[in-house]
Amino acid sequence: MELNANAFGRNAKKALLDKALQEALGRTTGRFVAHRDAAAAAFPEFEATRERASRIKRDVLDHLDTYLARFIEEAEQRGAIVHVARDAAQAREIAARIARDEGITLAVKSKSMASEEVSFNEALQEAGVTVVESDLGEFIIQLAGEAPSHIIAPAVHKTREEISRLFERHLGEPRTDSIPELVGMARRHLREKFLSAGMGVSGGNFLVADTGSVVLVTNEGNGRMGTVLPRVHLAVVGIEKVIPRMADVPTFLRLLPRSASGQTISSYVSIVTGTKRAGDAEGPERVHILLLDCGRSAILEGKYREILKCIRCAACLNVCPVYQSVGGHAYGWVYSGPIGAVLTPLLVGLPEAAALPDASTLCGACADVCPVKIPLPDFLLELRSDAREQGLKTPGEIAAMKGYAGVMKRAGLLEALERIAGVMGQIFTKGKGITWLPYPFSGWTEGRDIPAPAAQPFRKRWKIRRGVTR
Amino acid sequence: MTYTTGMDPKGPIPVSLFFTCLADAFAPGVCDATVEVLERFGATVRVPLSQTCCGQPAFNSGNRKEARAMARKFLLSFPDEGPIVTPSGSCAAMVKHGYPVLFRDEPRMLARARAVGDRIYELSQFLVDVLGVTDPKSDFSGKVTYHDSCHLRRGLGVVSAPRKLLGAIPGVEFVEMEESDRCCGFGGVFSLKYPQISCKMTERKVERILATGASYVTSGDLGCLLNIGGLITRIGYPVKAIHLAEVLAGKSPGRGDAG
Repeated sequence: MELNANAFGRNAKKALLDKALQEALGRTTGRFVAHRDAAAAAFPEFEATRERASRIKRDVLDHLDTYLARFIEEAEQRGAIVHVARDAAQAREIAARIARDEGITLAVKSKSMASEEVSFNEALQEAGVTVVESDLGEFIIQLAGEAPSHIIAPAVHKTREEISRLFERHLGEPRTDSIPELVGMARRHLREKFLSAGMGVSGGNFLVADTGSVVLVTNEGNGRMGTVLPRVHLAVVGIEKVIPRMADVPTFLRLLPRSASGQTISSYVSIVTGTKRAGDAEGPERVHILLLDCGRSAILEGKYREILKCIRCAACLNVCPVYQSVGGHAYGWVYSGPIGAVLTPLLVGLPEAAALPDASTLCGACADVCPVKIPLPDFLLELRSDAREQGLKTPGEIAAMKGYAGVMKRAGLLEALERIAGVMGQIFTKGKGITWLPYPFSGWTEGRDIPAPAAQPFRKRWKIRRGVTR
Repeated sequence: MTYTTGMDPKGPIPVSLFFTCLADAFAPGVCDATVEVLERFGATVRVPLSQTCCGQPAFNSGNRKEARAMARKFLLSFPDEGPIVTPSGSCAAMVKHGYPVLFRDEPRMLARARAVGDRIYELSQFLVDVLGVTDPKSDFSGKVTYHDSCHLRRGLGVVSAPRKLLGAIPGVEFVEMEESDRCCGFGGVFSLKYPQISCKMTERKVERILATGASYVTSGDLGCLLNIGGLITRIGYPVKAIHLAEVLAGKSPGRGDAG
């Protein structure tokens, strides 16, 4: 997917003026947050489960090579073919080769964020394959030629009117504002594709090391149909999604739907283990699993390792007041919200996405809801510090910081400056609030006043009161 | 006049005031109010005059070199034993949680930072958890709603102390707003880097405040209050942002030069 993360400020301004987007964001994130909170409150072991999941993920990251080797061994024993892609280019190459070797012309795809990292659909299209997104939200934005704006609700930014217009233009359907009718149209259209596609492409929520299984958590049934009906199944999954044991799956299944949508369990949980066996009623004859490294091993080696615990529930997006204000596209790449603000710079390089770690008030709401306890605000702070060390800050900011630190070195200097500011403030504002300030403070006074500095700061008051002379 | 703390103090409790640079310059009335409340409950307040800024704006914007210089200065300014009290959840959280990050590679400074971090309290936290205050003895009156500053609530875990105190003021009709724990959009440097997003968040906060019908919105952090109050006065909404210390002190609004 095309990278535009450093345009966050510009993108955000546009998003703030987009009425339809604002309405959709308010409605959807509000609902997700309320449902998530209710689900967490109704599950007494939620905290303990978070703790356990976090521990399991940490163990996985400490021994990722061992668990991956085990996963590959078990999956191959059950007939799957496992590929590992170092980077996006290699992932595209492998995907195209699989499609060619398997003779695929039509593929149905269920949701996969990881595949967006490598521009998977484009790779298959270049190899002559038509790729049809089968998750309803993904189906909609594919028609619109857009990228997902939310991890689990990719078309969250689209209104039903816009969707109906898309269906009219691309599918020849009559206009309607009935959601069930719109769903029916998509279903009819997709059903044909499911029945004729040679390959089903999926992501993977978990890779189970001790059985070689790919676990899919979905709500629409498209994931199951796409992995069962077509002759070939290709799963595209990040290497960090491995968990040690099938016995660990329930821990994560208790957390993921609750954190994502507030559901106790998703409508579908598919555990895809190997190819169709003799006697199986259905299933793919060929299973390919494409494991994506794409920057993950590098993250594993550094101080941001725990970001790889993420299970992509999107709870941090929903609860983030910045995401709620600007939506996912503003973040300019695959992942948005707090997880995107951390993960994008780590995956694409900080110089390409240094604007994102600044896109947070550090309010901490994300860390409160993260089901695997990733310290997202700490990571945002750390990335801001990396930006300084890598020379990515503007000379203006550095000069301002040096000046400010210089003043704060000496209380006497601060006091003198406060007195000057106090006198100026009184002259210019006559004791009322300040309504205009020059850059870099102009942003503040665009929408807010600020009180004039006090004529007599507290330190001075105290000195006078206590008879301190000097 | 004498007040009881609800405990049995064995004598005056020495407290160092960390008045914060923001309140010093923009709202000295908040510092006065903090002193007044602390003294009301038996504390002897000393004010280290060499203190300046804890360094949070530099730390939060990733400028750790400058933040570290300010942190060193802060640690030197508060060398004594005994509690340090501040009318800011955010500045307290910076000392408690930010300093150990700044000094993670300097064992000696780290130990010192931790020791000072253990001594620091936000005002309402100190009143309730340490002094055992149940009635702030404030004569403040009016309908009041409370905004949870992110760093007081999530950084220090202080949720109930300010509510208990507000609820115990006879003249105060305390009313909770919806989403009281949702960020007001301040975020320090964030409010300058992304002012439109910041204001969007502040608008939602002010909507929630107005919906309560309260005459006052209070909070434990001046940053939030300058932000919320700045939007309120810009538009001219019929509600006033006032610091928790001032409500607890019982200052009649309009007096002093608090935001």
